[in-house]
Amino acid sequence: MRLLLVEDDRLLADGLSGQLEKAGFSVDTTHTAREARMLAGQEEYRAIILDLGLPDGNGLDVLRKWRKDRIAFPVLILTARGDWHDKVEGLKAGADDYLAKPFQTEELIARLNAIVRRSEGRTHSLVKAGRYELDENRQSLKSDDGTEHSLTGTEFRLLRCLMSRPGHVFSKEQLMEQLYNLNDNPSENVIEAYIRRLRKLVGNDTISTRRGQGYLFNDIA
Amino acid sequence: MTLLRKPASVKGTLLVLLLPAGIALMGLAWLVHGVLLDRMSRDFVETRLKDEVAFLEHQIRDSDGKLDTLQTGDYFQEVFHHAFAIHSPSRSIISPDSWAPVLMSLIESGQDGTHRVQDSGKDDTPADILAYRKSFRVGDTPIVVIVSEDLGALKRSQAELHAWTAIVSILLILLLVAVIWFGINLSMRPVVALRATLKRLQDGKVSRIHVEAPEEFRPLVQQLNQLLDSLDQRLERSRDALANLSHSVKTPIAAVRQILEDTSRPLSDELRLEMTARLNDIDKQLEAEMRRSRFAGPQVGKSAYPMKQARDLVWMLGRLYTERSFELSSSLPEDARWPIEEHDLNEIMGNLLDNAGKWSEHCVELSLSQDSGLLKMKVVDDGPGVTDTEIGRLGQRGLRLDEQTPGHGLGLAIVREIVERYGGTLRFSAANERGLRVMVDIPLAVSRATY
Repeated sequence: MRLLLVEDDRLLADGLSGQLEKAGFSVDTTHTAREARMLAGQEEYRAIILDLGLPDGNGLDVLRKWRKDRIAFPVLILTARGDWHDKVEGLKAGADDYLAKPFQTEELIARLNAIVRRSEGRTHSLVKAGRYELDENRQSLKSDDGTEHSLTGTEFRLLRCLMSRPGHVFSKEQLMEQLYNLNDNPSENVIEAYIRRLRKLVGNDTISTRRGQGYLFNDIA
Repeated sequence: MTLLRKPASVKGTLLVLLLPAGIALMGLAWLVHGVLLDRMSRDFVETRLKDEVAFLEHQIRDSDGKLDTLQTGDYFQEVFHHAFAIHSPSRSIISPDSWAPVLMSLIESGQDGTHRVQDSGKDDTPADILAYRKSFRVGDTPIVVIVSEDLGALKRSQAELHAWTAIVSILLILLLVAVIWFGINLSMRPVVALRATLKRLQDGKVSRIHVEAPEEFRPLVQQLNQLLDSLDQRLERSRDALANLSHSVKTPIAAVRQILEDTSRPLSDELRLEMTARLNDIDKQLEAEMRRSRFAGPQVGKSAYPMKQARDLVWMLGRLYTERSFELSSSLPEDARWPIEEHDLNEIMGNLLDNAGKWSEHCVELSLSQDSGLLKMKVVDDGPGVTDTEIGRLGQRGLRLDEQTPGHGLGLAIVREIVERYGGTLRFSAANERGLRVMVDIPLAVSRATY
C-alpha cells in the first residue's frame, strides 16, 4: 500500500517511515506543504498522513485544497494540538481521522488500516435531489450555493430516505424505521421534531406535509 | 451633542452643561422681573391717577363747578404730590406752573383716558409723564381734569431696584457655581479614591479594592475584585500545575538521558521499553496538566453557543466512530447562549461523547436542555455499562492517572473538574437496560456570578 507521509520533523519522519515500511507500506515522505500539494495531485496513494504544522503552510489549507480538487484519498492528520475545536476543524476540512502527537506506531497503523478499509467500500456516494446533495461519507448536506451542513445520524438517515425518492410520500411509520434512538418506543412527535429541524436546513417548501399521509421531498422547489 | 457623545471628563461635562444653563436661567429670571416690575408700577400709577381725578371731580361737583371756591395751590399739592390741571371755560388751574405747557396741550387734545407724553421738548418739564384726563360737566359748565405723574422719577427708582436684583442674581449665580463645583467634587470623590486605590494596587500596597463606593460604582468595584480573584487563582493554579509537572517530568527525563549518554551501554529491548514507558509518563502528565490549565472556568463576558458546538461534536464523533450513530436531541433554540466558556463546554461535551462512543454498541445520544436556572447535559450510551461499585469511582479526582479505568479515564476526570468549577454536578447512573447515563447540571446563576 502506497502512503504519503507529510511531516516536517525529519527525525520523526525518518523513524515513522521506517516503521511503516516494516509494517508493509511503501512510503513517500515530504517535509513541505508545497511538495505535498504537488505529489498528491500526481501520484496515487491509498492514504495520506498529514502533519498540520508545516514550515511553509498550514496542513489544513493543504487538505482543503485537495478536497476542493476532488482528491479523495483518506487522510489522517497529526498534530500536537489536541483540543476538540481543532479536531472538529480538521474533520470539517476533510480529514478522515485524527491522531494527537505523541502516538504509538501501532495505533497509527491501526487507524491507517481503518480509514483505508472504510474508503475501500465506499463509492463516491452522493444522493442528489433538487438543489441539494447528500454526501454519505461526510454525512453532510451541500446546497447548490456551496454551503455545507453537517448532520447527526438520524437527520442524515431521514434525509437520505426522503431524498432517495423525491416526490414520494413517506408515512411517519416508514420514517420511524430510520430512527435509531435509545428511546424504546419513539413517538411520532419525534419525527415531527426531526422534520422541523431538517426544514430549518432545506427550507419549509422543500419538505412538504401530506396531512394524514406523511412527508415528501420536493426536488423542484 | 459632541460633548454628550464623548464624555472626556465627567466634571468637565457637568460644568459645561450646568454653568451656562444656570447663568441663562438666572438672566431670564432677571429680564422677566424687569418686565413685570415695569408693568406693575405703571398699573399702580394709573390707578392712583384715576383715583385722584375722581377725587377732584367729586370736589368740583361739591362746589357746583365754582373753581374759585376750591382750595387750590398748596392744598392739592400736599394731598396729591402730583401735577394736575383743572380747566373750565372760565378758568384754568395748573400746578405746578412749570408743567403748564404739557398739561395745556393735553387739555386741548380733547381725548379722555391715559396719556403718555415723552420728550415734550421743554427744558423744565419732565421728559416722561403719565397723565389721566377726564372731562365732565357740572351743570352747563364743561370741565376737564388732568392728573399726571413724572414717570422719570419712578423709572429711576425702578432701575435702582432692577439693578439690585441683578446684583443679587449674580451673587446667586456665584453661589450656584460654588454649589455645583462642590457637588461635582463631592460625588467624584469615590472615583478619586478608587483611582488612588488602583494606584496602590498597582504598586502592590494593597491586594484588593476596599472603597466605600456609591451604588453606581459598586458593580464596577465588585467586577474588579472578581477579576483580581480569578487572576490570583489562575496564577496559583498554573504555579501548582507547573510545579507538579516539573516534578513528574524531570525525573524520567533525567533517567532517559542517563541511559542515552552512556555510550558504553548497549540499548537492550528491555531498556528501550523502559525508556518508552518513561516518555509515555511524561506525555501523560503533560497532557493532563495542559488540559487542566486550558480550563477557563466561569468568566465574565464569556459564553458559548451550545447547539452549534454540540452539533459539531456529534457530527465529528460520528465521523470517527463510523459504526455508531451519534444523536442530538434538544429543545434549545439554535442560537441559545450559555454562560460557559466555549473551550470548557467543548471539553465537557467532547469528553462525554468520546467516552460514550468508546463503549457504545450502536448509539450515543446527547441531550441539552435548560430549565429553572439549570443548564443540563445528558449523554447516554448503549454500551456494557458500569457496575454500581465502579460508578462511585468514575472520574474521581485523586485517582492517579495509571489507576483510572481505561476508557472512562482522564476524560471524565477533566469533565468533573470543569463542572465543579462552574458549581455544577456530574452524576452517573445506569441507562435503560444497559449502558451508562452521564448527567451534568450547571446552575445558571453560579456560572454567571462570582469567581
